[in-house]
Amino acid sequence: MSLIREVIGELAGMFLADARLSGATLALVALVAVLLLALHLPALLGGALLLFGCLAVLVEATLREARRRRG
Amino acid sequence: MVGVTWSVAAPAVGSAFFASLVEVVEAFTIVLAVGTLRGWRAAALGTLGGFAVLTALVVALGPLLDRVPLHLLQLVIGVLLLLFGLGWLRKAILRSAGVIPLHDETAIFAAETAQLAAAGGPRRRSQTWLAGLTAFKAVLLEGLEVVFIVIAVGAGRGLLWPAATGALAACVAVLAVGVAVHRPLARVPENALKFGVGIMLSAFGVFWTGEGLGVPWPGQDLALAVFALLFLTVGLLTAVTLRSGGGERAR
Repeated sequence: MSLIREVIGELAGMFLADARLSGATLALVALVAVLLLALHLPALLGGALLLFGCLAVLVEATLREARRRRG
Repeated sequence: MVGVTWSVAAPAVGSAFFASLVEVVEAFTIVLAVGTLRGWRAAALGTLGGFAVLTALVVALGPLLDRVPLHLLQLVIGVLLLLFGLGWLRKAILRSAGVIPLHDETAIFAAETAQLAAAGGPRRRSQTWLAGLTAFKAVLLEGLEVVFIVIAVGAGRGLLWPAATGALAACVAVLAVGVAVHRPLARVPENALKFGVGIMLSAFGVFWTGEGLGVPWPGQDLALAVFALLFLTVGLLTAVTLRSGGGERAR
């Protein structure tokens, strides 16, 4: 049972190590999906939003973690 | 691999190879500790057991993915790659900037050896069993990430077996070097590899997620290279900013 718990923990950690990074990524994908599929935003604009949104999410999550660790 | 261009196959196989290299080095450190302290039979049995479970996972999950509609598969795998890749990249940037310490295989080997020496029952058989289980867990837990990467970068375009071959090549390379030097592979530039793999996985994540949502990327597969270059540039700039104390000032 302990091994199964560790495997589940490892799997969860793979995708959800930083809850806010994961949450922001999922929210960005959901926003782009709504803009593209429901509001018919031009596809390339949606793609650009996804790409630059991911870069912004990465930078924010990294700087936030650095600030937290440096206290 | 029919219809697959080299620009997609190379990043997929390369991601699987380098990601596996990182994970296999980590698993090798623990297996080496087990073998050195409790004998190579326990280490080999544990390792083979771990490999068997991982192989079964790839064989079971691989064909199932063929039944999922392509756009849905691309979207799901793309989102998972984004979650996984951005997480790896964030950690690699923090390590590169000196915010969190680098992975030290020699220290891990010493800690694992001390733990194994202290653990186990008074009987030799229970100690051997525990050692085998430790090797099994190391291979299984480190290998789960490899299995995900192989499936994620390989499933979208029928590259499952080339990606798996990349992962297997990494295993063989680490094993060959490990057997030759017989000590933890502390000189592998693990963070640089993680940085590179994080970049490739994030680039794949944006590419697949966009394709899953119907985005026709300009240049098609070549867009992957542009995405990777952007993630590399932003990652390096963030690391430089943090090294120069910019993260502190941003507060």
